Amino acid sequence: MAQNVNPFYAEQAGSTKQNDESRKSSNDSHAVTKRLHKELMTLMMTQDKSISAFPDGENLFRWIGTIMGPKDTVYETLKFKLSFQFPNSYPYTAPVVKFVTPCFHPNVDTSGNICLDILKDKWSALYDVRTILLSIQALLGEPNVDSPLNALAAEKWQKQEEYRKHVLDTYREA
Amino acid sequence: MNDYQIAWNLMKKVFPILDDSFTFGQATDDGSLLKNEFYQCVESSKTLNSGRIVQDLLVSKIEQRLRNEMVPEFWSYFKRSENDNKGFKQFYNAVKSLYDCFKQLDHVITKLDMFKQATQLGDLIYNENNTHDALKLILKATLLSQLNLEYQVVVMNFYETALKMEDTEEDDGQCIICLQESKHCNCLHLFQETNRKLGDMSLLEPLVGQTLTNLIYTYIHAHIQKICKDSFDSSFIVILEKWLQTVVINWLRKIYCYDTSSSNNEVVVGMFDKKLTNYLYNCYTKIRIDQLFNIIIEYPESLPALEDLRLCLPRTELKPLLTKKLQKAMETRLLHPGVSTPDVLTAYVAAIRSLRILDPTGLLLETVTQPVHQYLRSREDTVRCVVSSLTEEGPNDLAEELIRGEIVQVDENTPVDEDGENWETWVPDPIDTSPSKSSAYRRTSDIISMLVNVYGSKELFVNEYRTLLADRLLTQYSCDTEKEIRYLELLKLRFGDSQLHYCEVMLKDIADSKRINQHIKQDPEYSESDIPMSAMIVSAQFWPPFKEEKLELHARLVTQMEGYTSAFETLKGSRTLCWKNHLGVVDLEIELADRTLNLSVSPVQATIMMHFQDKNVWELQELSKLMQCPPTVLRRKIGFWQSHGILVETKPDVFCIQEDLENKDNNIQEDIFVEDYESESAMASAQDQREEELQTFWSYIVGMLMNLDTLPLERIHQMLKMFAFQGPTIECNLQELKVFLDRKVREHQLIYSNGYYKLPK
Repeated sequence: MAQNVNPFYAEQAGSTKQNDESRKSSNDSHAVTKRLHKELMTLMMTQDKSISAFPDGENLFRWIGTIMGPKDTVYETLKFKLSFQFPNSYPYTAPVVKFVTPCFHPNVDTSGNICLDILKDKWSALYDVRTILLSIQALLGEPNVDSPLNALAAEKWQKQEEYRKHVLDTYREA
Repeated sequence: MNDYQIAWNLMKKVFPILDDSFTFGQATDDGSLLKNEFYQCVESSKTLNSGRIVQDLLVSKIEQRLRNEMVPEFWSYFKRSENDNKGFKQFYNAVKSLYDCFKQLDHVITKLDMFKQATQLGDLIYNENNTHDALKLILKATLLSQLNLEYQVVVMNFYETALKMEDTEEDDGQCIICLQESKHCNCLHLFQETNRKLGDMSLLEPLVGQTLTNLIYTYIHAHIQKICKDSFDSSFIVILEKWLQTVVINWLRKIYCYDTSSSNNEVVVGMFDKKLTNYLYNCYTKIRIDQLFNIIIEYPESLPALEDLRLCLPRTELKPLLTKKLQKAMETRLLHPGVSTPDVLTAYVAAIRSLRILDPTGLLLETVTQPVHQYLRSREDTVRCVVSSLTEEGPNDLAEELIRGEIVQVDENTPVDEDGENWETWVPDPIDTSPSKSSAYRRTSDIISMLVNVYGSKELFVNEYRTLLADRLLTQYSCDTEKEIRYLELLKLRFGDSQLHYCEVMLKDIADSKRINQHIKQDPEYSESDIPMSAMIVSAQFWPPFKEEKLELHARLVTQMEGYTSAFETLKGSRTLCWKNHLGVVDLEIELADRTLNLSVSPVQATIMMHFQDKNVWELQELSKLMQCPPTVLRRKIGFWQSHGILVETKPDVFCIQEDLENKDNNIQEDIFVEDYESESAMASAQDQREEELQTFWSYIVGMLMNLDTLPLERIHQMLKMFAFQGPTIECNLQELKVFLDRKVREHQLIYSNGYYKLPK
């Protein structure tokens, strides 16, 4: 017997075999679940307290994420909640990520949609929840003013004092 | 003088008792002498029609005499006396005097009978057909109406003495009553006479019966106590029954069968027999129940006692008492911190075995051992004790059980075939059985599965076994795994292949290590320098986590190990070795100026020596830095060498090698704490592991609460179950989680309000 097969997983695979025969399509879904479990574990084990995410209820395909505003930006000390919706084809397709907490930002519209390249055409299966969270956190401090979703925010970005006021006005903690 | 006067005078002559001045024993009543008077008397009462009046007068007089003279006199004998033997005489005299009076009254009654026949008087006295019975009734009533409080003591005394006399065991040729030699002694005769007299008066049962019964009960109890005390290795039921018949019943027969003609007495004795046999059983059973705990502990030597108890139980209705008493005994004698876990386990196994004899259905066992289960669950080292005794060498209940009982555990869900061969011996379940559990399940479950069931999960047992196995394999460093494989196979029969797969791999690792070592040694690339070494190569995935300790080995060793690693890498492509520096055994030969020592020590100790080989004097700090080992720990390890007289602490925190032992006496510090490195487990302790697991949970809980804000306990538990419980061992029940979370609340890492947990801001 090969020593490098963890019997736990081997057993698990064995037990799901019957299911697989009944619905072959669940093969993928199983892989996704496994991947999400693994991502969750790495996320839980990281020491970085400024980002975090956890499945929302029993559904492993819906997560809630939390990021703290990056240091030395107007968002500092603010806490933003995000929602993640993973497609069945994850990680080959990007998850749908939205702000739950209202966020005044050039690349975030009023319903929370985010304009971020890695969530659209630049997505790669190498990205994961952690990198998404880190990217969004970075985006808060360095907005892409050239392709804004929120024109007002893009306009105000130059005047940081006014911008800060808008941010604080919009912000409502969940 | 009228007719009445004449008649009265006549009457007084015939029945002198009617005269108040008359005293018994004075007049010599001669029937023939008074025949004339008697017939005159009959005639006169016929004419006067006074028969009824005469009878009433006589009865009233008799009653008066009894009340005023005889009964008080009888009771006056019953004065408390200090001397035991006096009681015997007292009672004898009392009965004798009463009997004399009774005889005289009886005489009067006889005459009254004649009178009644002659006058054809049909009226009954107190509705008794027989006038003699009426007299007995009156006597009894009067006696009891004036009952003396101390009479029982005297009666008891009387019969006790008599019984002692009967007990031939203590016969020393001397009567214990009169202190005369047996052949001259008349006491037995007096005893029988007393009984006969009491019997004649029909007073035996009313006056003596209760006391006698009490006396015999005490006697039986004492006898059983005496012969059964602390001896469980023989059966007593038959002996006791025989004793009851030969000694007690025979003696009773002597008391009651004073008159061989009457069959009535046999009935009384027969009733006594039944009553006493029942008492005997009850008493014996109670004594055995009181001793049951000791009996259990001494199983199987106490088997006869158990068999006795099994026979007694259906006859005595004492099962509830047994259950209660045994439970209590278990609690007070077993289930407290003063008893070590192996002892609790031994007692538990003995209880399982012996109670199965008492009650093959297993119901009793279930009830009684329930608290033991609970208690064992609360002890931390239970699993370890069970597992180690399962696999231990030498005479051991559990190991025997493992080898012997190769019954594969019956699956609860599959219905067991009622085997047709034994249908004749089938018995229904006791009425107090809970119908939810099948009897077959209780009957088949063997001791090991019962012990495993204490925890309700095989996993715990298997994990503990794994840790112990790992420990043994690593400390012995022997590749002789034959015995372990045998045990593993036995365990597999019980716990299933999948559970013990890890252990299989572990054993395989050992065998593989041996092979790889040989291989590498033949490798021309790998040169074994002056330090020959072999490695134990284990698969991290399958072994329990090791205790982590930091240790920087000596440079020479490190080079050696690097060589080994590269040889391994060439042998097994794409794999490498990750050394656990602090584990292992080093055989050292230490040559000093005046002596040579051969020792097997731990790597830390060996490293210390190697450093001292380079340099004779080391400062603790310096060495600690070099070895990456905390000074306190290092000092303890150095203590080992100090105790061997190889190192000495010349100045505080400065150690120096001692080449010769000239001034031996001063330098060997006997009191230095020597660490017994063998006793230390290489495995992380269960508690450490648990702590680590809980730490994992904690990160999940923090992640959960950070994103989902507030959650109730159940929800947290559910989420953990879904997302966090992954490994084979990780498990955490609701209760444990609550304790853990409450601890975090106390540590202010968590806030609890309204049933919800949340993180502090």
